[in-house]
Amino acid sequence: MAFRELMYREALREAIDEEMARSPEVFIIGEGIAERGGSYKVTEGLLAKYGPKRVRDTPIAEAGMIGVGVGAAIAGARPIVEILYVDFAMLGMDMIVNQAAKFRLMTGGEGRVPFVLRTQGGAGGGVAAQHSQSLEALFYHIPGLRVVMPSSPADAKGLLKYALRQSDPVMFLEHKHLYMTKGLVPDGEHIVEFGKADIKRPGKDVTLIAWSNMVPTALAAAEELAAQGIEAEVLDPRTLVPLDKAMILASVSKTKRAVIVQEANRRGGVASDICSIIQEELFYDLDAPIEIVAGLDIPIPFNLTLEKASVPQKSDVVAAARRALHQDPLGLAAQ
Amino acid sequence: MAQSILCPQVGQDLTEAKVVALHVKLGDMVKKGAIVAEVESEKASFEVEAFATGTVIALPYKVGDTATVLEPLVVLGTADEAKAAASAPAAAPKAMGAAAAAPSKASKVNAPRASERASDGVLRSSPLARRIASEAGIELATLAGTGPKGAVVLRDVESVIANGHANSQAAQNANGKGGLAIKSLKNGSGHPIVFIHGFGSDLSSWRPFVALLSIGNPMIGIDLPGHGGSVGATAKDFDQLVADVAASLLAAGHHRVHLVGHSLGAGVSAALTKIAGIDVRSLTLLAPAGLGARIDGDFVHGFLSATSESALARWMQQLVHTPKALPAAFVRATLSAREGGDLAAKQRQLANAVFEGSTQLFSVVDALHHYSGPCRVVVGRRDSVIPADHVENLPGHVAVHRLEAVGHLPQVEATELVSRLVAETVRAAG
Repeated sequence: MAFRELMYREALREAIDEEMARSPEVFIIGEGIAERGGSYKVTEGLLAKYGPKRVRDTPIAEAGMIGVGVGAAIAGARPIVEILYVDFAMLGMDMIVNQAAKFRLMTGGEGRVPFVLRTQGGAGGGVAAQHSQSLEALFYHIPGLRVVMPSSPADAKGLLKYALRQSDPVMFLEHKHLYMTKGLVPDGEHIVEFGKADIKRPGKDVTLIAWSNMVPTALAAAEELAAQGIEAEVLDPRTLVPLDKAMILASVSKTKRAVIVQEANRRGGVASDICSIIQEELFYDLDAPIEIVAGLDIPIPFNLTLEKASVPQKSDVVAAARRALHQDPLGLAAQ
Repeated sequence: MAQSILCPQVGQDLTEAKVVALHVKLGDMVKKGAIVAEVESEKASFEVEAFATGTVIALPYKVGDTATVLEPLVVLGTADEAKAAASAPAAAPKAMGAAAAAPSKASKVNAPRASERASDGVLRSSPLARRIASEAGIELATLAGTGPKGAVVLRDVESVIANGHANSQAAQNANGKGGLAIKSLKNGSGHPIVFIHGFGSDLSSWRPFVALLSIGNPMIGIDLPGHGGSVGATAKDFDQLVADVAASLLAAGHHRVHLVGHSLGAGVSAALTKIAGIDVRSLTLLAPAGLGARIDGDFVHGFLSATSESALARWMQQLVHTPKALPAAFVRATLSAREGGDLAAKQRQLANAVFEGSTQLFSVVDALHHYSGPCRVVVGRRDSVIPADHVENLPGHVAVHRLEAVGHLPQVEATELVSRLVAETVRAAG
């Protein structure tokens, strides 16, 4: 298979472009996405190619945009609504939680909502408490929503294409730090089904489960652990709903130890839920308590130093993996 | 610095004792030797003596409570610490009206308890270690845990399996093929320190000593044939005794160890250095047997023949230079261990195998000539069981400590110094 190196944002653009070309039902709306090409340049060039009816700028009115998207999806279109920051999606929570997520069940399966909300979250830009959150747990909690968190350009493309072909509401959560990252993307039709995790690095000693921007962090930690003689396996669920339990359980059965890394604050997070699934299924295969490395339970600070201190870093992951292996912390081990 | 008076081990393998009396209250000044409390087990009650002078700064238990053996019963400190403790509401609700002290001081008072958490006697293990051990038929209690709080984790079980756990099943059964009882005395990490008791004692006699030993290695005890949990085992001579100890240690996965032995156990420890497959990292020998020919045969005979507490006490006082140094609990524990069994007969059998009258039938001097690791010998100049001058037979590379006003039990009569020497010997091995 041939590959090309693309940036995460270019891979997303390819997905939208290919699906818009393939299906006239696909359209995209959002703030500054048409003439400006989007704040993260994901939709650059699409206005010229598909015209203002299918690539449409909106006012700063998230509740209205999300309402339009959900309504259009119910009516049979395949809308993509781009929300600048996931924090702003809170304005449309009624449409997402009470309408989009419920419609299929309440219509006995006759009505479907093929609605894709594309947005980005995460800390790392010094953009403070209202522009830095990782809110996947809110959507994860609501039955009826799909929650997708790609960590690489190839996954971003493949998952977005799949999102635009299936028929349930999708929270497609990108990360502001990942747009400029590069990776190999397979040529031709590249689709990644939901519910299929991916082993980003194989290993036998401990499983690091991470998604979105924590995947690069976990991979860097695995690299450092390798130098210490510990072979960490990095598993990216890619979609939190549906969750690939089978692959998670298979990996942890093999390594006997799990470290779950989430950027979101710990309380009530997805990591806690994955942790409960693992312990329930694999209690007698675990050689150590499951470790969770998560953000602090505080609003993300504006100050860059404090911001960094409030979300997981590579060293936190390394330390947790060593704990899971009952090995001394690095400082002691070096002596 | 705060010192804890521990709830005594009131009988072999008892883990709890009821507090029936506390003779001190918070803030009391206590003199060394004073009786501070009384505890009782199902079999007997014991008076608890203060081993040091100080002010009572914490009383973790009330009269009527069930105390955990070898946990602090009374904590002594300085007058300052008493004030700090009084101002810390959790430690002493009835403040003595002292001015508030820095919280860090108050937390220091609690520190000894936290550091002893690993030695709380709770057997911890990971679910996986538990499952694998159970599948392999390995008794978890026989393993030294290297995980957090001394938990047995996968690597501990794997190392036993790798060392051929077929034998460890025999080791569980004291009547099996030379298998002897091995128990964890304290959890920790690193190479284990194996404590080998002297004639007539058992591994539980090490517990008070081990509780005070401030090094992080796991500590385990082994019961010699005819003693403690190995009462069903016998040895026909000294060589078999050593071979059985070696086989039991290896079967439990202890192939790299520090050894601390007392008297006959010290002789065994020294002889273990010649056994292939056991890597003795360091050797601390307390009042060792096997350095010379003589032993007080009358003592051995009298000790084994005594059936009353007063008679046994008379003989056991021969073990120490200062009769008061011998805790009454020692005598009662020895007597209660003999109750309703053939322990004394089994020990007589072993005595006949290694001693003949007042003669020791074995020597470990040659073994010590060849041993190249750190080795210390500690003897009391007033030892009336084995003459202290036997150390004159030792090679030059062995460090010898001759303690004044100490008899055959240096670990009891000079606990602090001996624990320091054990720690130094272990550390010297690197």
